[in-house]
Amino acid sequence: MTDQSHTRFIVYVSLVSMLCLGTAWPAAAQQPAHPAPPDDQAAREALPVYPSLHIAGFGDVNFAAQNRNDGPRGFTEGQFTLHMVSALSPRIAFFGEVTFTPRLDGGTGNPPATGFNAEVERAIIRFDQSDALKVSFGRYHTPINWWNTAFHHGQWLQTSIGRPELVQFGGRFIPVHFVGALVEGVVPSGGLNINYQAGIGNGRGSVISRAGDAGDNNDVPALLANVFIKPDRLFGFQLGASAYSDRITTIGRPDYNELILAGHAVLQREDPEIIAEIADVRHTQVGTSLTTSGFAYYVQAAYRLPAPARLWKPYFRFEHIAIDSDDVVFAGVPNLDGSIVGVRYDISTYVCIKTEGRFLKRVDNQPRANAWFSQIAFTF
Amino acid sequence: MVMFGVLRRGIVCRTFWLALALAWPATLGAQTGRDVAVVVHPDVPIDSLTTADLRRLVLGDRGFWPGSLRVTLLLRAPVAYERDVVLKNICEMTEAQFRQHWIAKVFRADTAVAPKIVYSSEMAADLVNRMAGAITFIDAAQVGRGMRVVKIDGRMPGDKGYTLH
Repeated sequence: MTDQSHTRFIVYVSLVSMLCLGTAWPAAAQQPAHPAPPDDQAAREALPVYPSLHIAGFGDVNFAAQNRNDGPRGFTEGQFTLHMVSALSPRIAFFGEVTFTPRLDGGTGNPPATGFNAEVERAIIRFDQSDALKVSFGRYHTPINWWNTAFHHGQWLQTSIGRPELVQFGGRFIPVHFVGALVEGVVPSGGLNINYQAGIGNGRGSVISRAGDAGDNNDVPALLANVFIKPDRLFGFQLGASAYSDRITTIGRPDYNELILAGHAVLQREDPEIIAEIADVRHTQVGTSLTTSGFAYYVQAAYRLPAPARLWKPYFRFEHIAIDSDDVVFAGVPNLDGSIVGVRYDISTYVCIKTEGRFLKRVDNQPRANAWFSQIAFTF
Repeated sequence: MVMFGVLRRGIVCRTFWLALALAWPATLGAQTGRDVAVVVHPDVPIDSLTTADLRRLVLGDRGFWPGSLRVTLLLRAPVAYERDVVLKNICEMTEAQFRQHWIAKVFRADTAVAPKIVYSSEMAADLVNRMAGAITFIDAAQVGRGMRVVKIDGRMPGDKGYTLH
């Protein structure tokens, strides 16, 4: 066999293999995920054992193209997220979430910075008395915002690639994390299903994008309340409101009282999926009546196309953030009028590809920043 | 003789089509129309559930029976008829949506325990009687004597208007 015919043969074999794999893939994806073990063994496995640690993970790989220097370009590795859940008894459970985020400054400095930032995002120990009363302690995603507690760090769970900017990780508009105690449950209310959450904790730390993990930096605790309904008659619909108060203490500035009022309306049925949230953040300098206000909202709509295009889900989101120019606490937080438009394609039950365009306007009389992002997100 | 042959061929032919017409709905019914019974552990203190109650149980929005007894959900593995009926009629979800729902449910820390998979009606019947607070779904034709079947919207399997089939 000559070199040329040998190369042709290899190309031919590769193409045939790829075709075979390509046709086998959907079939393999549809195989039942649970091959049946013998009944006795399965029955033994089904009986509860404590502790019962289960680990799941989320990951994503991204590609970005931008016309302005407003974030990463090219390929980026997303957050590597591990989620742990362990029932410790029939009524007590532990939930944990750890992320590893790639750093731009990895390897620089002395000692050299690590390539990834490790962070304990959530660590919650919870006692369930009943559906009406569950008490927990730990580090949470602050339950005053729907997106923050619906998707956490699981990019695969959310339809779009990016989070709305008002709940951006590392953002300052709302406190993304909360360290403290939470009481929650469902109040018997006919078909309305009234859910409540009430919490007390440390609130924002000296760096206001972070929670007070190592203790409160002042003597005023953060308080939160969240109430929402999930009516039986409108399956998939949720409507809620929440309030949060805290005192913010930062170095070199006076203290400020913070009051956040937020609301959400969500229809999570895929055809359609509608998510709308609004939040108002007020800061009042302690000892004065000087109050400033920041206001943000977003509306996202998506629609899972009918068969045979059921794997496709186009989406659109508009978001707005307006910060009072006199707000000292939010100095440097940019205003925003932004739209994203994109589509999600579910390759299999546990893997999806998303691609979206973002068109953002930060300042009046300045050109828009346009960017295109693509992402493969998965759970494992 | 020829006439008899034609007549006999005609009768056979008509009988064949008549039999096929009669058998068709029965065959279809055998595949898709069987009632699925909702079976609970004998200690579960309820006799009847609404469709909305059942949906909350299957989707993990309700984790306790009255008296703070923990719910243990036993579901047939994918492709079983009982599972298809529950997902379609109660959850209004596809298999993929249902799996994604439960991954998200556990990830959100709403519950620490996902549904337990059972691989046969016999296994479901065995476990539902052994595990306190258990609930499962069994083909009504295979429900045995020792099993506690609950009404759905006031109806038992076989009743007119029963929705789980």
